[in-house]
Amino acid sequence: MSDEGRSSRPTPTEDLGFSNITKDLLELKDTSELMVDLAYSALLYDNEDIANEIICLEDIADAIEREVVLKALKDVEQKGDPHRNFVMVRLAQAMEMIADAGASMADVVLRDIEKNPVLRLSLRDSKIIITAVRVSKTSSLNGKSLGEVRLASESGMWIVAMRRDKSYIYGPDENTVMKVGDQLIARGPKEGVPILREMAGCAKRLGIEECE
Amino acid sequence: MHNTCTAGGGRLKKEGRKGGPRKSRPKEFEELHYEPRSVRELLTEMKDISDLIVDLAYSALIFDSKEMAEEVRDLEIKMDKLNYQIRLTAMIASRSLHDAESLTGILQIAEAAQHISDAAGDIVDLISEEIDTRPFLPFVLRNADEKFNAVRVFPESELVGRTIADMKIETTTGAHIIAIKRRSGWVFDPDPRSTVRGNDIAIIRGTEDGYSKFFKVARGKQEVEGK
Repeated sequence: MSDEGRSSRPTPTEDLGFSNITKDLLELKDTSELMVDLAYSALLYDNEDIANEIICLEDIADAIEREVVLKALKDVEQKGDPHRNFVMVRLAQAMEMIADAGASMADVVLRDIEKNPVLRLSLRDSKIIITAVRVSKTSSLNGKSLGEVRLASESGMWIVAMRRDKSYIYGPDENTVMKVGDQLIARGPKEGVPILREMAGCAKRLGIEECE
Repeated sequence: MHNTCTAGGGRLKKEGRKGGPRKSRPKEFEELHYEPRSVRELLTEMKDISDLIVDLAYSALIFDSKEMAEEVRDLEIKMDKLNYQIRLTAMIASRSLHDAESLTGILQIAEAAQHISDAAGDIVDLISEEIDTRPFLPFVLRNADEKFNAVRVFPESELVGRTIADMKIETTTGAHIIAIKRRSGWVFDPDPRSTVRGNDIAIIRGTEDGYSKFFKVARGKQEVEGK
């Protein structure tokens, strides 16, 4: 199929002179998606720390979007290729809209009203869910990085944030090392939850709350 | 002269929408009527769509698929309807200030889910721009934390004839299947109970490692682990 052929061809982005904006777009995409994942986590656990992080990330997303627009305008001025730059600007705007949606959800957590229990139930009913597990003393994850244990590909679960004592690591990467007592907040299919819990050394008979 | 949206004038008429005509707004809303469904059910469906629709939108652009773009537009319309339903349901359910306060939070989440689907709609609108205006997109989507890939399932792969749930594809490879292309057409957000066929092309999202694991299994070079 031509689709496959096109996608597997490497793109010489550097030659296009767009690498600068491209990197911004990449960062904006990852930031906006992290914000939405964090938002669902903050809602599920009614967690204001995470919600505050999202509000902070929103400023970053806004700043990146601004950069993309400015660079695109500059590029048009210098090289006069409005079409490509138009596509980049529109993409950046769409990504920023997603970031705003994440921030709007965080706002619900931060507002001082009683949370409707239905919210939590809906989030638990979804196809892709958020869960949390604690790394136990017996866990094989202890002292290993996310990349080393290939956590995502071994369990299907994507780590959104890690809580260590009172601080958080948001959007950890493959080099982030896990330690005993770390709480991992993960997103993925329901079927991945028991696998992640087993990796974290959380006994199967324990209830979800005890593992969290 | 002012721009106009009515036929016969205006820039849309002149330039045309290469993506094809869109179902007009008034018609969409004519079809709306109240269905007794719970807020919980409606919100879950909205969240599920918002999880899927952005991935589909990016995929539509990198694989230049008009069908996928059309699916995104259909989901966007569905999301609009769900948002309308959830507002109606919430209003009916609200009997006190306390109810109303706690329901506004839910409606704000529903609204956010709709904004995500609107963003996805904006992304697929870019499909009407020439493909050479977006050469940077594969770079963005391949270097993102979670990458998009298309993988052909070879007829000799052990995935063939089995269901996605059966093979525990998502949990053993970490690859999330967004869509499948086969001769009969596209299957979007395939049901875990659906069967994989030889020569299916799976659009997957996941880590580099998840991709290579899925790739090996799809080529028939490796068995699925943990069977």
